[in-house]
Amino acid sequence: MTEVLTPETQVSLHRTARARLYHGETRVDFMGRKWWGIGISAALIVATIVSLLAQGLNLGLDFNGGVQWEVPAANITDAQAREVLSANGLNADEAKIVTVSASGVERLRIQAAEQPADVRQKVSAALATAAKVDIEDISSNSVTASWGEEITDKAVRALVIFVILVALFIAWRFEWAMALSAIAAMLHDVLISVGIYSILQLEVTPATVIAFLTILGFSLYDTIVVFDKVDENTARFAGSRLPYDDVINVSMNQVVMRSLNTSLAAVLPVLSLLVVGAGLLGAISLREFALALFVGLVTGSYSSIFIASPLLAAVKGQTPKYKAMRGPRAVGVDLERLVMGGSPAARREAQRLRSARAGDAAAVGGASANAPEALLTHAPRPRKKKRR
Amino acid sequence: MQRKLVYSLSGILLLAVSLMAITLGAGFYPALGLDLRGGISVTLRPVTGQAFDESSLDLAVERIRERVDSFGVGEPEILRQEDAIVVNLPGVNDQQQAIDLVNVTGKVYLRPVIGCANPVTTDPVTSIVGTATTTGGTATTAVGNTTVINLPTATTGVSATSGSTPTSGAPGPARRINSVPPTTDPASTITSGTTLATLPATPPTGGTAPTDTASSDTTVVTGATSTTVASGATTTTGLPFSDPAATQVLPTRDGGRCQVGPSGGTGEVFVRDSAAPRIIGGGWGVTVDLKTGGSGEGVWNALAKECFNGTATCPSKQLAIELDGQIQSAPTVNAENFTGSVQITGNFTKNEATKLAQVMNSGALPISLQAEAVQTVSATLGKDSLRAALIAGAIGVALVLAFMFAYYRRVAVVVLLGLCVSGTLVYCITSFISRFYNGVLSLAGVAGLIVSIGVTIDSYVVFFERLKDEIHAGRSIRNSAQRGFKAAFHTILVADSVSLIGAAVLWYLSVGAVRGFAFYLGLSTLIDVFVAYFFTRPAVLLLARSKFMSGKKIMGIKTSADANQALGASS
Repeated sequence: MTEVLTPETQVSLHRTARARLYHGETRVDFMGRKWWGIGISAALIVATIVSLLAQGLNLGLDFNGGVQWEVPAANITDAQAREVLSANGLNADEAKIVTVSASGVERLRIQAAEQPADVRQKVSAALATAAKVDIEDISSNSVTASWGEEITDKAVRALVIFVILVALFIAWRFEWAMALSAIAAMLHDVLISVGIYSILQLEVTPATVIAFLTILGFSLYDTIVVFDKVDENTARFAGSRLPYDDVINVSMNQVVMRSLNTSLAAVLPVLSLLVVGAGLLGAISLREFALALFVGLVTGSYSSIFIASPLLAAVKGQTPKYKAMRGPRAVGVDLERLVMGGSPAARREAQRLRSARAGDAAAVGGASANAPEALLTHAPRPRKKKRR
Repeated sequence: MQRKLVYSLSGILLLAVSLMAITLGAGFYPALGLDLRGGISVTLRPVTGQAFDESSLDLAVERIRERVDSFGVGEPEILRQEDAIVVNLPGVNDQQQAIDLVNVTGKVYLRPVIGCANPVTTDPVTSIVGTATTTGGTATTAVGNTTVINLPTATTGVSATSGSTPTSGAPGPARRINSVPPTTDPASTITSGTTLATLPATPPTGGTAPTDTASSDTTVVTGATSTTVASGATTTTGLPFSDPAATQVLPTRDGGRCQVGPSGGTGEVFVRDSAAPRIIGGGWGVTVDLKTGGSGEGVWNALAKECFNGTATCPSKQLAIELDGQIQSAPTVNAENFTGSVQITGNFTKNEATKLAQVMNSGALPISLQAEAVQTVSATLGKDSLRAALIAGAIGVALVLAFMFAYYRRVAVVVLLGLCVSGTLVYCITSFISRFYNGVLSLAGVAGLIVSIGVTIDSYVVFFERLKDEIHAGRSIRNSAQRGFKAAFHTILVADSVSLIGAAVLWYLSVGAVRGFAFYLGLSTLIDVFVAYFFTRPAVLLLARSKFMSGKKIMGIKTSADANQALGASS
């Protein structure tokens, strides 16, 4: 009598993909699909670099220096605003005027080169008169170019120190390979986020910079939760000579639900800011934050699974210890057994299946004797904890 | 064990409730930043290429604060961030006014005093201070019907001594007072004479009508030309602006007013960092060294000579030390000629002496600030942003909670309560910080808080996923909760550490809005760890012992009991 049971029914407790996902019974071969992730990222990075070289970033007022006014646009047109500018001695042709609409209220955003304080004040007053609004309803913003440079310098310096500290922390808490992979994944996120800003020519403001910095934090946070699991599984499979790719695959399957949930929980408020706050209620300043955050959260979640982990496998797989253990990856049912390995439920299930097949001596024999679960149905004896 | 959990749970709930009660009871609330309520923000930095030191920046911040306070701007925020000074003036709409307000020069002027009035007089309406008129400097002519002559020696109690040393009792003052052979140095007086020659000599004439109309302060200073009085009166709402070339009426630190002549020199006559508070002759005083040569001793002695002799420019014999429109001290000059150092004594407290020394030191190296960024946010735009952020935040939280309930079923009650506790703590701490540390919640801070919702929820997700794994592995719920928390808390700690490192680095190294954002991200991360340990842990562990979680399908997972049943049925 030959085996008739399909792999799914052999050990799986749930039939639908959704239920398996919910119950942590997935067996996705992430490592086998790593080239998808790497390919997509490589394409995005190439696009980013091309776009940065071709058109650069649309840097806002705070980085280039200049003056900006925001005027309610109900009673004033683009041309009228330009007239006001030239009447006050500004070069109206060089001024950048855009209409920003915020739920019902349209505002003219006028940007011009740096101006002394008295001119700014005069223009504000003139714009208020022209737009038939109170001067209090006009927002203005003036920045010298040197200040913008200073902000950028400070942000870059903060970033470098942050990266060094975090690398040291991860290396101390986990290991160097993880520190390298986590930082690389984080830089990947920043690069792609910057790329999206460059490709779509969205304006980069200090708010965007803040959002980018958040992305770094979130990307690392996400990656570290994954790595924490990898760390735990490395100890768990320490005695079983399991290839590192498998260790990672198992870890990813075990944390994928948590990763999805967390990302969803983090994206929901940001999406609400973007759609409700910036979209429906029209708070322009919120949009700058929310957009960058949204882009960053999505790339951050993606990179911790598709970039950080394959990188870790690549770096770690080169070490002599794991090079010796290289072998074909466990996929399908084997992977599932590893993921579920050691759990009493899995053992019970395996036992049930075996007893169901009891009549088939051949099936119980040779094949299952060296199946992975024979190695792994119980956790290895706890080892003495290495000093970290 | 169980008792400990109950204590922990009730402890944190009590903490949250009592903090909320204190906050609401005391009427604290988070102060909103400019971008949420409208106003003007000015970022100042020293003009590039100019030498300055830390203390002169600190002093500039203090001066700006005094000026802003004197104008009555509500909840101003004045921060020094490395070498930049950020001044946020909520509710101010006039850019020019804002720039004037923060325009401190840090320049110390030495101005001869023509006459002073003190605010504390018995009959303020009639108290008219006659200033000295005659050239001899001794005669004080009373003007008006009632004559109250208030020369500040008594109240301000400041007098400058030079030359002969204070006698005994003073701890080693002799060294510091390099004083001087009296009067027999014609060379230095000649140089001083040239300095003063350029100054407009406006000997005040007694008897001109007092015309201080705009002033609500009823003390009237006369004796000056009417224009001077007007200039003193224009800025009665706040500190006046210094005009070193004119005769002005300026306020003193103790609330009086003095009429001072044009500046005869600046604080640059002093050697940098040489001013120090000392105990001199039994009381606190200040000693300061003069620069040698014409730019130091020359200028100073010219002034000193005028004042010592009580000439027309300095009839009161007092020399005012003025900083940004406020007279810091107006000591009487007791010698005509100084070499090396000057000593100011009087009824100073230690703090006053320290402050005066600080002023003189900063005057030796004045700092000129430049407005690097001026931002006006209209109040309506600010309010719209705040409203949108609040509504969007609320909807976001509601969505997340709905998701949690859909996914984790009734255990998500813990998430709901946990968010309430976290939210309460964040609100109260923000309020306290607004109240006591002058911090404000800006749009960037709000964004930081909204992002931190994701991080907070993640702690629960990590924990619950662990819990599911453990239950799945066939452990009892009670056991699973304990093991699950231990493993999850480990992960939460590591991940939160990274967030904290990020927040701390950003906070130390950045300016402006980034800082506010980093602060709130760090704050909510700390609260996350705190709540995870003191709220989530006891709450879930206690629930795991109760009937609440012993249902058939807790979190939608078959418990080991169910599984065993199923196994028993099948076999």
